[in-house]
Amino acid sequence: MIETLLAALVSGLVLGSLYALMASGLSVVWTTLGVFNFAHGALMMVGAFVAWTVSEAAGLGLLTGIAAGTLVAALLGVLIERLLVRPFYGHRSMLLITVMTTLAAMIILEKGAQIIWGARLKQLPRLIDGEVSILGATISAHEAVLVGLAPLILFAIWRFTLKTRTGRSLRAVGQNQNSAALIGIDVPVAFAIAFGLSAALAGLTGALLGSIRFITPVMGAEPLVKAMIVVIFGGLGSLGATAGAAYLIGLIEALLIVWLGLYWTPFVLFLMMIIVLVFRPNGIFGGKE
Amino acid sequence: MSTRARDILVPLACLAVLALVPLVATESYTRHLFIIAFIYGIIASNWNLSLGHCGVFNFGHLTFFGVGVYTAAIAAKTFGINPWIAIWLGGVTAAFAAFLIATPVARLKGIYVVLVTFAFSQLAMQLVLSQSQITGGAEGMVRIPFMRIGDYSFVRDYKLGYYYVGLGLLVLSTLFLLAVINSPFGKSLKAVRDAEDYAESRGISVSTQRILVLVLSAVFTGVAGGFYAIYLRVASPEVFGFGTLALALSMVLIGGTGTTYGPIAAALALTFATESLAGIRGLEEARFIIVAVAMILVLRLAPGGLLGLLNRLKI
Repeated sequence: MIETLLAALVSGLVLGSLYALMASGLSVVWTTLGVFNFAHGALMMVGAFVAWTVSEAAGLGLLTGIAAGTLVAALLGVLIERLLVRPFYGHRSMLLITVMTTLAAMIILEKGAQIIWGARLKQLPRLIDGEVSILGATISAHEAVLVGLAPLILFAIWRFTLKTRTGRSLRAVGQNQNSAALIGIDVPVAFAIAFGLSAALAGLTGALLGSIRFITPVMGAEPLVKAMIVVIFGGLGSLGATAGAAYLIGLIEALLIVWLGLYWTPFVLFLMMIIVLVFRPNGIFGGKE
Repeated sequence: MSTRARDILVPLACLAVLALVPLVATESYTRHLFIIAFIYGIIASNWNLSLGHCGVFNFGHLTFFGVGVYTAAIAAKTFGINPWIAIWLGGVTAAFAAFLIATPVARLKGIYVVLVTFAFSQLAMQLVLSQSQITGGAEGMVRIPFMRIGDYSFVRDYKLGYYYVGLGLLVLSTLFLLAVINSPFGKSLKAVRDAEDYAESRGISVSTQRILVLVLSAVFTGVAGGFYAIYLRVASPEVFGFGTLALALSMVLIGGTGTTYGPIAAALALTFATESLAGIRGLEEARFIIVAVAMILVLRLAPGGLLGLLNRLKI
């Protein structure tokens, strides 16, 4: 019994790390631009495919592949911001329009990937072979790297937005664009940085996930839906709340899988989300908007 | 021609043309495309009721369609209910599903409406996939009973019967939408969309209107889903996917949000356009990319949709 529980906790930690990386990227874009990027999962998928092409097809090594996947996703993110988000800035129903344009971007990326890479399943090798035992539960060393890396990355983003000049300019733009522009912050550049950073996070997550799951054109859809549940729980407003909610959801999901099985878990998660929303429309950790 | 006469005569003329199409389009493939276009026309124009007329950011509209598809499929195949009744049951369950999701959604604002309705559609798909002994899981359900009157099977005569059932449902759905939009209730929806605070101060309950509009928009969407299942004799979880969602959304956008006939016209145009693209080798997947690009271009260049653009130019 205890062993099953510990195993669930550890697998919850792996899921939580994945969701934290996904959801923090969504949160960075949301707090800076007020845009919810539906293409976030597709950017993750592109990161995985590019990492596979560079590392396996071209044979340049896994680390080069991961770096390339991250970089290509970041560039695509900047491109999406420039072409699909910026033209609608200041529009009355900008929120709705950017949901639709990023949804269109998602379709383009998914179908594009299917045409370029085909539907055959692909997988990346692992960063480190072997297994690691945590609290008596065994996970692959690669998953352990993911678990260890996620808090480091989250900490780095948090320090970046708090302490660096660029990071603070992102927050300033998020709070009040006009005032930010008045004190000499280049608002369009801040938007591009936020989108690029978020997309880079997605690409990196995808490249790391490509060793654990199969790489397919639709691999980003499920993590995106989970990241949505996370941001509904945590609210989109702050990075800390989003990360906290990500680990919480990961743990709850792992426990539910043990308790109810794989099929009923999404259903219960969704019900919990509805209940949270009815009582706390801005999320468990979210304040007033 | 006065505007009023134009609003009545032009649609009637279009209907007359559509009623005569089977005389010209005698083979079953062209008729099939028209039937699919009628179904998409119902989906898009009813989605427009909540999205365009009331400003509810509902991204789970295809869930109502999927609920209709599976209701009719299960009713007709598993329980042996007459397909003519089964398609209307699709409307009933879809309206009920809409009520379930509308109750929490009515209290939410902005992006959270998008997220919850979207997550709802994903959940419905999960449910269909997991209950495979009822729904057939990922393979879906096949060989669903077809429509017949007495001994006459609707599959015969190159789908002539199905063509007129599809057209009839589209007409019914459109009359229903017109009645809703032109009623005082319809005007209160516009008030909720354009001036929420003012509407509330005049005694309109914003959350009640949102619940009602979602339920009303689900009725014919569910019926269309039921008809889809009976006509194609297949129910597959694909109806909940991103592809169908994007196609229907592009019809609403290209046709013009807030117009009545725009999404129907766009549904006809886009069904034929995407189907003919699918016939070109190598474009089977790329056609979705083309639709997505068209959606972006319309948002960028003609936010009122193509029909809105024509109206503004006074053509």
